[in-house]
Amino acid sequence: MDSVIDLSPELWVATYETLYIVGFSLFFGGLGGLLLGIGLYTTRAGSILGNSAVFGTLNIIVNIFRPIPFIIFLAAAQPLARAVTGTGIGNSAIIFTLSLAAAFGISRIVEQNLLTVQPGVIEAARSVGAGRLRIILTILIPEALGPLILGYTFIFVALVDMSAVAGYVGGGGLGNFAIQYGYRQFNPWVTWAAVIVIILLVQAVQFLGNVLARKALRR
Amino acid sequence: MPLISLQDVTKSFPPGRRGGDPVRAIDNVSLDIEAGEIYGIIGYSGAGKSTLVRLINALEKATSGTIIVDGHQVTNVPDRQLRKLRLDIGMIFQQFNLFNAKTVWNNVAYPLRVAGKSREEIQARVTELLDFVGLADKASNYPEQLSGGQKQRVGIARALATSPKILLADEATSALDPETTHEVLRLLRRVNEELGITIVVITHEMDVIQTLATKVAVMDGGRIVEQGDVFDVFSNPRQASSQRFVSTVVRGIPAPDELAALRERHAGRIVTFSFRDGDSSQASVFLELAAAGVEFELIYGGINDIRGRAFGHLTLALTGPGASIDAALASLAARTTVKELS
Repeated sequence: MDSVIDLSPELWVATYETLYIVGFSLFFGGLGGLLLGIGLYTTRAGSILGNSAVFGTLNIIVNIFRPIPFIIFLAAAQPLARAVTGTGIGNSAIIFTLSLAAAFGISRIVEQNLLTVQPGVIEAARSVGAGRLRIILTILIPEALGPLILGYTFIFVALVDMSAVAGYVGGGGLGNFAIQYGYRQFNPWVTWAAVIVIILLVQAVQFLGNVLARKALRR
Repeated sequence: MPLISLQDVTKSFPPGRRGGDPVRAIDNVSLDIEAGEIYGIIGYSGAGKSTLVRLINALEKATSGTIIVDGHQVTNVPDRQLRKLRLDIGMIFQQFNLFNAKTVWNNVAYPLRVAGKSREEIQARVTELLDFVGLADKASNYPEQLSGGQKQRVGIARALATSPKILLADEATSALDPETTHEVLRLLRRVNEELGITIVVITHEMDVIQTLATKVAVMDGGRIVEQGDVFDVFSNPRQASSQRFVSTVVRGIPAPDELAALRERHAGRIVTFSFRDGDSSQASVFLELAAAGVEFELIYGGINDIRGRAFGHLTLALTGPGASIDAALASLAARTTVKELS
């Protein structure tokens, strides 16, 4: 118990690092996933850019990368992280790899939520002469905004989970804190302190996501 | 020159399964629609009418044939040009297809933004349109807060936003109750009469054609089997599928099972007289039957009115001397359509 108090500066640093890693990953991965998801949605047969070759390719790429357990993906993608960020270890490498892995997962969530938009609504936009990009930006995304916000909230939680293994490649964060000071030093109090911070973090973000989604859905 | 002209238009969809035959949704259709008309296209679901109407604004692309709208080719033109053309063709839908994330105001403003109108123009036009459809007080509501009839009126305002010459109505009243249907049909009539907009109405309800359309085409299996003035098609349908549609709103000649039931209840010979305006009047028919000593009883049928012109079928049970009936029928057959049912 005392050790938790002793370690509290490290705990706050770890919390900050988790937010830092998850925040940037959510931004880059979210953007990549949004584009990939829109790509999957729009190239599906019968959709506004229907192209079965492109859809098939995107679909297979997502299916290949999405199921790889993150800790394995982290190791496998290390050379790529090194090539892009200049380092294979630390928070930058983690953010890169996490963004990449998350983009594949997010793309499916985006695709699913866009598919809930009534095709007739898209057709109505086409019938007034709207172009494809305008339809995506001014109809498709606003129509699916509520579920998209909930989807991204879900992804935030998933990213907190995935970021816990950052310590394996020299990154920080709450996962690393719990393993380094709690698990490896046989100090369950420290582990539990990390767990409690994660629970509070997740609760706060889920609450925020629900409020925003309710606003978007007007109910 | 017709405002909308389709020449030998065919539309095939790829087969549903590998190795299957392509599905011919529209099969060699030719159709001319003049400016100012309300043109009804009726058919059962799957007859191809929804596909046909989407060929006009190129939401679907024809497989072969020529489509000319307001002097412009619609087939084989680049997308950019099509989008411009669509500003001249409004469309309303069975499920309304309003933008749920936008207010009524922004739904109606959307086509104007697409057309690149200025803020002032949009302000003025949306105000005018919401007044026209009677929803000025709902401007800041969201679609989910509206009733079905109100939603369709927003749909109509949105479709009219860019002042199109043509309005395509795809089963626009099929999701509405009868009272709301008539309210929307009245509004469409005003769109045609006050704004001079040509309307193409797709429906499976003959009632809609009867109250709204001036011309009608009957579709069956991707083909137009009959077309002409609504009065002509209603008073004298030639094709089996047209007759089935007409019989849904016009009590005409009794069907075989109805005839059997009539026979059980009425003695004598059963004869149907068909009247169209211009033909000899009913009164003269009844007078002549009475003068010939034939007793008659009206047992089936009715008189219909289409845009001020009357037609109908009256089925009578005739009793009296056989020779008198024969003579009277022969004389009447020269002046009106007489059909003895056996």
